[in-house]
Amino acid sequence: MNKPENVSHPTPDTGTKPATATRDALVSDWGTSSRRLRTVLLYLKRNPNLTVGLVLLAALAAVSLGGQLVLEPKFADPLANRPKLPPSWEHPLGTDSQGRSMLGVLIYGTFLTAKVGVIAGLIGVAIGAVLGFMAGFFRGWVDVVISTITDVLLTIPPLLVLVVVAANLATKLDTNQMALIIALLAWREPTRQIRSQVLIMREAGYLKTARLGGTSMMGIVFKELMPNLIPYLMASFVLAMATAMLASVGLEALGLGPQNEPTLGMSVYWAMFYGALLLGMWWWVLTPVLALVVLFVGLYLVSAGLDELANPRLRRRRQ
Amino acid sequence: MLRFLKRLFLMLLVIWLAASLNFLLPRLTDRNPIEEVIAASMGESGGTMEGIEEIVASYEARFGLDQPLWKQYLFSLWDSLRFDLGISISFFPERVSTLVLQALPWSIALIGTATAFAFAIGTALGALTVWPGAPRFLNVVVPVIMVLAAIPFYLIGLMLIFLFASQLNWLPTGGGYAPGTIPDNSFEFLAEVFVHSILPILSILLASIGIWALSMRGMMVTVQGEDYMTFAKARGLSGWRRFWRYAVRNAITPQVTTLVLALGNIVTGAVLVERIFGYPGIGNLLFQAILVIDYYLIYGCVYVLVLTIGLSLMILDLIYPLIDPRIRAAG
Amino acid sequence: MNAPASSAGLHVADLKVEYYTDDGIVKAVDGIDFAIRPGVRMGFVGESGSGKTTTALALMGMIESPGKVTSGVARLDGLDLLSLSDAAFEQHRLATVSYIPQGAMNSLNPVARIEAQILEGFRDHGAPLARADAQRRVASLLEQVGLPPAVGRMFPHELSGGMKQRACIAIAIALRPKLLIADEPTSALDVITQRRVMETLGRVQDDIGSALILIGHDMGLMAQFVDEMVVMRDGKVVEHGDVRTIFANPSHPYTRTLIESVPSLERRSKPSRATTNGGQAATNGMPLLSFDGVSKAYGQVEALRPLSFTLAGDMPCVVAIVGQSGSGKTTLGSLVLGFETATNGRVTYSGDDVNRMGRAAVNRFRREVQAVFQDPYASYNPFYKIDHVLTVPLKNFGMASSREEALDHMIRACESVGLDPAQTIHRYAHQMSGGQRQRLMVGRAIMVKPRLLVADEPVSMVDASLRSTILGNLETMKTELGISVLYITHDLATAYEIADYILVLHKGSVVEAGVPETVIDDPQHPYTRLLVDSIPWPDPNRHWGAGGSLDEETQSVAEADVTQPLVRNEIEGFRLA
Repeated sequence: MNKPENVSHPTPDTGTKPATATRDALVSDWGTSSRRLRTVLLYLKRNPNLTVGLVLLAALAAVSLGGQLVLEPKFADPLANRPKLPPSWEHPLGTDSQGRSMLGVLIYGTFLTAKVGVIAGLIGVAIGAVLGFMAGFFRGWVDVVISTITDVLLTIPPLLVLVVVAANLATKLDTNQMALIIALLAWREPTRQIRSQVLIMREAGYLKTARLGGTSMMGIVFKELMPNLIPYLMASFVLAMATAMLASVGLEALGLGPQNEPTLGMSVYWAMFYGALLLGMWWWVLTPVLALVVLFVGLYLVSAGLDELANPRLRRRRQ
Repeated sequence: MLRFLKRLFLMLLVIWLAASLNFLLPRLTDRNPIEEVIAASMGESGGTMEGIEEIVASYEARFGLDQPLWKQYLFSLWDSLRFDLGISISFFPERVSTLVLQALPWSIALIGTATAFAFAIGTALGALTVWPGAPRFLNVVVPVIMVLAAIPFYLIGLMLIFLFASQLNWLPTGGGYAPGTIPDNSFEFLAEVFVHSILPILSILLASIGIWALSMRGMMVTVQGEDYMTFAKARGLSGWRRFWRYAVRNAITPQVTTLVLALGNIVTGAVLVERIFGYPGIGNLLFQAILVIDYYLIYGCVYVLVLTIGLSLMILDLIYPLIDPRIRAAG
Repeated sequence: MNAPASSAGLHVADLKVEYYTDDGIVKAVDGIDFAIRPGVRMGFVGESGSGKTTTALALMGMIESPGKVTSGVARLDGLDLLSLSDAAFEQHRLATVSYIPQGAMNSLNPVARIEAQILEGFRDHGAPLARADAQRRVASLLEQVGLPPAVGRMFPHELSGGMKQRACIAIAIALRPKLLIADEPTSALDVITQRRVMETLGRVQDDIGSALILIGHDMGLMAQFVDEMVVMRDGKVVEHGDVRTIFANPSHPYTRTLIESVPSLERRSKPSRATTNGGQAATNGMPLLSFDGVSKAYGQVEALRPLSFTLAGDMPCVVAIVGQSGSGKTTLGSLVLGFETATNGRVTYSGDDVNRMGRAAVNRFRREVQAVFQDPYASYNPFYKIDHVLTVPLKNFGMASSREEALDHMIRACESVGLDPAQTIHRYAHQMSGGQRQRLMVGRAIMVKPRLLVADEPVSMVDASLRSTILGNLETMKTELGISVLYITHDLATAYEIADYILVLHKGSVVEAGVPETVIDDPQHPYTRLLVDSIPWPDPNRHWGAGGSLDEETQSVAEADVTQPLVRNEIEGFRLA
């Protein structure tokens, strides 16, 4: 469930030493950072989903962030290059009919799309954590209100609502506003996940032990519950981020995105809008599509890997 | 029955929310929807002057903009309930309801067929992976299928178009039938429709089989560890019975729950597939409406999709007790 | 049945089962011999890992990779079981060797009716029944296990735990097997249901005349039920023979330990009321704990009916609160600890209402009232090392002024319950066994030095051998530290062993109260009598049902008065009002 669980400590053969020696032995902590690193690496070896997912995302991040050092943002803008060029040494991924360099789109578009996902995912998990925690911890009418609203909203396909919202707002969105719109619905799943987890945890015997030990309400929430909730929050965040990106790319592919920014979704939209495949400009379509495929598969694998980490039942299945 | 009523209540709530949003948003954003759609329709689709006057008149009357706000609100709710979704701007003078009802059968056929196949194939694959006697090739196929589940439908669609239509030229790039064909009931027409639907269905299938396979496999693994599986084996029941009547029968119940949870996403995913393929369903209609900001048509499409999902969920709720006796008892 | 008399029944010789693991070969069953004649009940006793369940699996042809039967012969009425192919064995399971599972709650297919689960056995063993015949057979099988015919049309979730286990028996005997193997069939059931299921099982076995193997770890149940016994340890038989002989004169020390770990009437040493340190009374002269007309309802369900008592504290005692699940005993514990609020009445601790205390009073209350709960696995926060449960109270109650002093406290806490501090404090809970964790929870309670301890089923989840150690710790807390203990349990036998006073709780009311000698040796209330009669005493001569048949006793419980407790005597320091 937690990282420390996987840290194994050697058990020194102390035999029957006098109490002070025992005490001295106990004072020094055995865990060292190099051992922790090794444990993490060993764990990654056992969890191929997480490993492959992290590698995919890291590769994409390297291309996007590293590329930004080499290539200026204007390469991703229209009219910056000669249009409709197939891949060549000068333009490794070609250019589109507006003169955007597709390499520029890959570098800056990936970043922008990821940014929308991270912002919306963070907002979603933050709101979801607070609402889910309140519902699960206090139960009663707080839970009824929060759960009912969440459940009702969960039955709505998010993209459809976002279509209505985005179509009503100005057509000149930027990626930040886009992220905020996506965040409108990104808190639903985290709320439900955190709530059900807190519902389970609040019955945990160790909370009673803590109360008997004189721990205050605040101490129980922040010292006993929260540390155990962190893996779930992380898993929730990855999931919310993936869902947010899915929604934003979907909106953009419908043309309801930032018209002046080269996100991956907008690139798909423009490629479709101008019939890139009919023109034989496969590089225009495949660049954003493959970047998105790597992004989504990476997120999916990380999320599956985190699930395994957070869910002991799944972990047992593997054995 | 209780579940059904709850679902009905939830659906009415959702309709109410959608209608309210539809009513509220244009007013909140301080935009005049009529002026804007007229401007848009002039700019994008080149509507004629007399058409626009008629539209203005019809919308003025419809909205009753001189009426107090609460009255306007109630009117709009009432309109939504009786399926009066107004007049389309981009397809003037068609009513939105007519357009939507024309497109709906295409979507239902496409999404329904694809989802039914995906559910059946995915569930079967997921079940087989766990059974010891499963063929070897599954060990390769299933992980691939599961990874595909992470990719949005329409991106797979784009890759399929690139490969089978653009590069290999085996299948048409899009449309429900070839341009110029007049729809009728002839065999030729149906064959054409079938050929055109292969790629869209394939992209939905490829992307969603994994969803079912994954959840089915998870349930099968859980069921394998249940005491009743051990007892069934200890009673010398046949392998066939233990697989079908015990493992699959118990694992498939939660699949329906998964279907309920995933339906909304499948439908929206399929909407985007339609747009990629230019398939004459609701998704493509929605896309065309967005292009010219035909606000009433956008709302109409969304409204019908939400309604369809809600109805499907209610049907599933009615079926659910039939497959799980525990729900039956709970009423 | 033409085989010579000597080969009737089960004959096992030199049976070996080995498991091939990464750490080498594990000899799960290491060359055992035994024989069971038809109609005889044989008990297999041992702790988990002793090989008793593996033996049963081998007899059913269900040893799975990486395990393997490496040698031995097992003949059942002349049939050589171990040489059967997998397919042939499948046909013999249920028909020849049948199995009654451990987890009855979960052993039935939840989506099939009981009759279907009975009939599929006939169908898969080449004996499908015609429709009319099928109905009759289902009804008669259900009748054999004491269930009405209507149960056939029901789904498992509509049955209680005891009914499910009896349905499992009906399913298992459908083809009149020659050997029945029952694997801890009552481990999840309360004593009364356990008695009912075991009586059913015994009757059914008599009907079909098969040999029976009962696998278990409860020596009491063995004494009540079986004719012969095999005691296993580490894959070997350490003792084998007639059950009366073994109980009267166990030859192996391990057998003796097993027998002695079960509380028994004869061996009871009366708890001493003498203390070395005096009582831990409240400082202000008020009684330590008092219930004043306390009741608790959850919605329409009355978990606890109005109850009043006072526990003075100046004369420490162990008060046992005994009841089955749903009797309200755990609710009572939660009320004492302030985890629940009473619906009516007041719970006061040294004069203060437990639910309306000021900050200072709460701190004192928390320090002076401690608890040990049933589940040692859930009691530890998995995020922290095990010392967390010790450091938290030390810090919150200001018990240590320095790190060294805190460590000394922790070391003493470990040592007080026989744990090696160096092997304990820096570990995570999941690295320790359930028994070690529960001992540390007791050590923690000793370290805090409360005035009152609530022990809620502290030994129901630990191995039998540890049970007496932990109960001994509780007694030490009373005698040496002067701590009063509320011992909440479903187990009359352990209550008998350590309690000074017993309250019997039934459906939220105290039905009988008194010192153990009165309540258990001479129960007056029908419910207490039923409970006492259903205890599987580890004594082949003291039989279940001495007080009458189960049906008669259950009937008299239903008719009995539960509003007024039968109180025959009192002790100093505790008063039931």
